[in-house]
Amino acid sequence: MLDIAFAKPVLPKSGALALLLEQDAAAGSPTAALLEAADAATDGAVSRALATAEFKGRRGQTTTILAPGAGLARVVAVGLGKLAELSDRHAEDAGGHAPPALAREPAAAVATVGLTGAQAASVALGAALRGYRFDRYRTTEKPEDKPKLAKLAVLTAEAAKARDAWTAGRAVAEGVFLSRDLVSEPPNVLTPAEMAERCRKLESLGLKVEVFGPKEMTKLGFGALMGVAMGSACEPRMVVMHWNGAGTGKGRKAAKPLAFVGKGVTFDTGGISIKPAGGMEDMKWDMAGAGAVVGLMATLAGRKAKVDAIGIVGLVENMPSGTAQRPGDVVKTYSGQTVEVINTDAEGRLVLADVLWYCQQKFDPRFMIDLATLTGAIIISLGHEYAGFFSNDDTLSEQLRAAGEATGEQVWRMPLGEAYDKQIKSDIADMKNVGGRPGGAITAAQFIQRFVNGKPWVHLDIAGTAWSSKDSAVTPKGATAFGVRLLDRLVATHFES
Amino acid sequence: MIRLHIAASAPEALATVVPLRAGAPPPAPAAAAVAATGFAGHAGETCEVFAPAGRLLLVGLGDDVAGEAGWHAAGARAAAALLALPRIALDATALVPDQATAFAAGACMRAWRFTRLKTLAEPDAPRLAAIDLLTRTPEALAAAWASFARDLVAEPGNLLTPADFAERLALLTRHGVGVAVLDRAELARQGLGALLAVGAGSAHPPLLAVLRWKGRGTLARTAAPVAFVGKGITFDTGGLCIKPAAGMEEMRADMAGAAACAGAMLALAQRDSPCPAIAVLALAENATGAASYRPGDVLRSLSGRTIEVVDTDAEGRLVLADALAWAVRRYRPRAVIDLATLTGSIVTALGHHRAGLFDSDPALAEAVAAAGEAVGEPVWRMPIGPGHRADLDSDIADLRPRLPGRMQPDACHAAAFLREFVDDTPWAHLDIAGMEQQAEASDLHAVGPTGFGVRLLDRLVAMRFEG
Repeated sequence: MLDIAFAKPVLPKSGALALLLEQDAAAGSPTAALLEAADAATDGAVSRALATAEFKGRRGQTTTILAPGAGLARVVAVGLGKLAELSDRHAEDAGGHAPPALAREPAAAVATVGLTGAQAASVALGAALRGYRFDRYRTTEKPEDKPKLAKLAVLTAEAAKARDAWTAGRAVAEGVFLSRDLVSEPPNVLTPAEMAERCRKLESLGLKVEVFGPKEMTKLGFGALMGVAMGSACEPRMVVMHWNGAGTGKGRKAAKPLAFVGKGVTFDTGGISIKPAGGMEDMKWDMAGAGAVVGLMATLAGRKAKVDAIGIVGLVENMPSGTAQRPGDVVKTYSGQTVEVINTDAEGRLVLADVLWYCQQKFDPRFMIDLATLTGAIIISLGHEYAGFFSNDDTLSEQLRAAGEATGEQVWRMPLGEAYDKQIKSDIADMKNVGGRPGGAITAAQFIQRFVNGKPWVHLDIAGTAWSSKDSAVTPKGATAFGVRLLDRLVATHFES
Repeated sequence: MIRLHIAASAPEALATVVPLRAGAPPPAPAAAAVAATGFAGHAGETCEVFAPAGRLLLVGLGDDVAGEAGWHAAGARAAAALLALPRIALDATALVPDQATAFAAGACMRAWRFTRLKTLAEPDAPRLAAIDLLTRTPEALAAAWASFARDLVAEPGNLLTPADFAERLALLTRHGVGVAVLDRAELARQGLGALLAVGAGSAHPPLLAVLRWKGRGTLARTAAPVAFVGKGITFDTGGLCIKPAAGMEEMRADMAGAAACAGAMLALAQRDSPCPAIAVLALAENATGAASYRPGDVLRSLSGRTIEVVDTDAEGRLVLADALAWAVRRYRPRAVIDLATLTGSIVTALGHHRAGLFDSDPALAEAVAAAGEAVGEPVWRMPIGPGHRADLDSDIADLRPRLPGRMQPDACHAAAFLREFVDDTPWAHLDIAGMEQQAEASDLHAVGPTGFGVRLLDRLVAMRFEG
């Protein structure tokens, strides 16, 4: 991660500088203080260049000026729009402009003069998030092609306040990076066992981590999860992560924990109902739900969130083989309900069925939120701008929607209902695992709802949002870690003591 | 279609239906006979007696009559039991308006069938064609106009061309609705380039039908009208981007949005709604032909916007673009609501149990959703994100109507496209693909058209625009 420090707003003597400027900053905006200093040092060269480039400071507008003088290697102007309308998300987006624009400089500064300390921390978060890169497997990249930016000084008059806010921001960025790393890892490296090992490393953050293998899960009766796993040479795992941050001071009763459950199919071939070859490589990210849960738990621990939370991930690989599950098989889930497997490529809901039932039975949580790259139908429904969610709890739904709005990880509620539930009736078992093309994401949610035992619950279908094919303001293309910031915000806003 | 009459008495009805709660006393003349049958008024129970005063059918409601759905079911059961009689009466004298409306709607839904094209006599064919509703609830009449829309939807593509559709609108003039039809020459003169392009490949030229209900009282004089806009593709082959053969016959129903708008206008007129309303129906056949429009063509729409055609099977949004622009320019309506069997994407998203609702105005959207709930035509609000709109940027024109490739949120894209043509008018778009027909018979419906939207639009006007 970018090494971020907060410092007083003084014009640097050398190196690169990003100036975050309000729209029409020349008219005496507080954001223009360092612009004026730069002009004074360069004989007005910076302002002249900005005028030539017709830089107005509209939100998202950027202009780069090379070697304007006074020892500066480059000055990047980033527009903030109107300061009065600047939300945290806008501040993050502004920070996000820094890493690509300053990539060639090993050290740089971002001037956030005129912004509050909290906004300066948001700028730092945006810069950190945008600066992420997964280059573990690049061995021949030329040094000059690698981004060099390693240290970023955020210049602010409220450095102490910014540092305070950044404590949490940094934990968020670390959780996001952990999640992006896991999702980016290729499937031959990140098997269920390997992912469980990486979860175990979270013990260093103060989490308690339990790992269940095939023996334990078979003994418990996880017929659905084990049915998916049995075609693969890689053993399945279930990992339970506990964060106890609420504390148990005098006179305080332990509250029920929050629970987050993730689908972790480390590679999904579709099984015997095998997928077409084109694009199958994307199925390495079919564990992004689990990746988000792991990243979230790391974030909660990293910022010492005052909450008790459980994170559970069901980790399997879905393979076709002589021992693989067949279409037509009937499996008995941990809940006792039976499922006719019509399509072995609808495996995520089978994994979640057992893990959710275990979660509610073992921990009696205040609510359960599951995340899964579950259906293509949700992509055809909403595209890549919103994750779809389903819930039996209107209050929680509204809280989640607002958290999405605040973090930019947007969610859109989709319906549930008896008419949809009927689509998964089976002739031979309690239910079948697919309900046909119409309402495909909804029938998947109906299936999952049969395993939440009436507990307050949200199902997030993140198939369209877990991976991005293009760069966005704070997320380089690739793994997005969708869910980490959303759920961290939900917890921070509503559920911490 | 099923004729529905509001009446104080029904001398021509051959039987009278009386809904009864569990344990409620049956009508006095038949009490003894009913008692002998052991009828207790359970939900789903029926009991037919031939009382001295005439033939009676009692329909059980159970203890707790379950809202809209319960009354629909009761009405449908009554109709199902009496299908052999040409005319029946529903005794709704003890019901509040919402109950009477839903009860009548259930009976009309179940009674409807389409037999016009059957020439061989079927001995047990249902004959029920008229229902007398004993109540003073004019809003119940919308159910009959839903069956008018169902007739249109059921008509095959060879018998319901754009011109045939326009002719069927003569019925509206008899109810006081103004009907004007713009022919191809007039469309060309006015510049409806998108609608003309879609209709270019067909031997049956495209038309724009404009229906106008003036309203009454103060609103008629002072209020801008509410506008309905309907997609009326009388048959959709897909054009040069031709559809697969399997299932193509269902594309006769691709005018269900226009049919619903026409039905709703009839409902407003018949109950003498104070609210002025217009409906603009874009009627065209999307055929393959030597003059067909092509993928890659750039069209100039009525709004002036240029459109790059990506897929000739995304024709609905093109004809709607011109119809919406025409409606908002010509009438400056206070709100515009369009109905269209628009995308397969919405079927993947919401299946066959809810229509997709997109909007530019949250208050209007909430009113549409509330009206849908109230009449049992449920909808679900869907998003138009900035990214959906950005996806529509074209390299060569102002807009492209859709993106190539299968895994696209095409319903969102279509809605983002349509929004470009309504200016600042509060707008709601109902993607009713998947709701206009049903593949299997249910207790409520025969196989085929549902008339989805007629009752919703009528109720929307009643709830939001008549105050």
